[in-house]
Amino acid sequence: MLSFYRIIKFGLQDIARNAWLTVVTITILLLALFSINTLVTVRLISDNAVGAIKEKINISLYLKPDTIESEILALRDRLASSDKIKSVVYVSKQSALDNFREKYQNNQQILAALKELGRNPLSPSLTIIPEDFSQSNLLINELKMLDSPIIESRDFSDNTVILNRINSITKRVNEIGLFIIAIFIITSLLVVYNAIRVAIYTHRQEIEIMRLVGASNYFIYLPYLFSAFIYALLSVLIVIAVFYPLLSLLQPYLEVFFMGYNVNILSYFVDNFGLIFGAQFLVVLVINEVASLFAVRRYARV
Amino acid sequence: MINLQNVSKSYSHKIKVLRQVNLTIAPGEFVSIVGQSGAGKTTLVRLLIGEERADEGRVIIGDWDITKISRHEVPFLRRQIGVIFQDFKLLPKKTLEENIAFALQVSGGSQAKIKKIVPSVLKIVGLEDKGRRYPHEISGGEQQRAAIARALVHQPKILLADEPTGNLDAINANEIVDLLLRINKFGTTIILVTHNKEIVNRLNRRVISMDHGQITSDQAHGKYLL
Repeated sequence: MLSFYRIIKFGLQDIARNAWLTVVTITILLLALFSINTLVTVRLISDNAVGAIKEKINISLYLKPDTIESEILALRDRLASSDKIKSVVYVSKQSALDNFREKYQNNQQILAALKELGRNPLSPSLTIIPEDFSQSNLLINELKMLDSPIIESRDFSDNTVILNRINSITKRVNEIGLFIIAIFIITSLLVVYNAIRVAIYTHRQEIEIMRLVGASNYFIYLPYLFSAFIYALLSVLIVIAVFYPLLSLLQPYLEVFFMGYNVNILSYFVDNFGLIFGAQFLVVLVINEVASLFAVRRYARV
Repeated sequence: MINLQNVSKSYSHKIKVLRQVNLTIAPGEFVSIVGQSGAGKTTLVRLLIGEERADEGRVIIGDWDITKISRHEVPFLRRQIGVIFQDFKLLPKKTLEENIAFALQVSGGSQAKIKKIVPSVLKIVGLEDKGRRYPHEISGGEQQRAAIARALVHQPKILLADEPTGNLDAINANEIVDLLLRINKFGTTIILVTHNKEIVNRLNRRVISMDHGQITSDQAHGKYLL
């Protein structure tokens, strides 16, 4: 317990005596963590954007109004057996009418026109959900060639171009982000290694005397590993303190942009706080400790 | 007892700093090791404190063969052997008390032990009234005495003094040697590595002369022959 206290004391002395070096080291770690969190945010936004567009992909087959239901269900089952189709939803004439009324409940003119007509003018339809949205082009081509006497018309409002573009941008952002993170990780390793090396240089006289008077090896190197732990802890705490206010500022803009969709990045970070920042702390800690261990082994000769 | 059996050490293929050295030092002896620069005296000291490993032969301290000592065992060896150097190796930003306490702190000594031992070793070296001074506030001789006090905190059986009077004038040098003699009287083995002819001749104790990595003479009551 006494040794533990002294190790912490010597570790804190290292940090205080090399205050500027500590600031630089923590700044580099902060930049690395900030880039990781930015990448997580970009990923979340793009996932939400892709999800929103996917919802707008509409593949529907409109059927002749007088088709008997058994024929519709047979076609539905035939389509559902395709491996490109996730599910097929049958919307009957009545359901289509109900949906129409609900959609235009505030538009009295349209409702009056419908009433004037005196009958249900809508057709039954089959709404098709693709198994893989990125492969929806192939499915659309297949459906275009589908031969069935009960099909009246086909609606393929295609958003796959936009979807592909978002997927491609997300992929590119991820690639660049990972490259930036890799650079920051390597830089962090070198900076922490150098910080510990300088700390050891500052304490070279003490280390020499420690070795001379029989200090245990762990007593010589643990203060430096403790310093590395403090670097990791401070950098993660600061990134949390900086990132949450930034997310709070960003959130209202995202809500406007994704109007009608439930996009809440702030609550995602709050809900997954332990996972996101715990993992980051562990990674930074491992990087710091590895760099420190190399520096101590080389320069403190323990 | 210290026993070196056919010990050789080289730093490169061409430079052999110790050649087949055989040496026995009994407990409680006061031995001076003399020789010119490059004779191998300092390498001998470094072998004894586990700083260097012998290429050949065995180095035995007490019942302990330290030839193949692991790095985890080195701290335990160092607590058995006090060492002082020409440059004192005191920490300038710590008082004498703190310098001495530091040796106990880093080897896990309790606060109670530190409170008990620090004043007693300061008293042994005659610095009991200067414990709160910083190294730059005292003379070179007093700094070396403080270094000796620090070397004594683990109550070592052996005290290695590598050129302890090298930075001191004649009066201070004699005071240090007198102090080493007093410590020797308590039963501590003293190994004094020195260039100082007057001191060696005044001591009239065992003198081991070294030249080119070999022991050239070993006299029970010797003089500085080189």
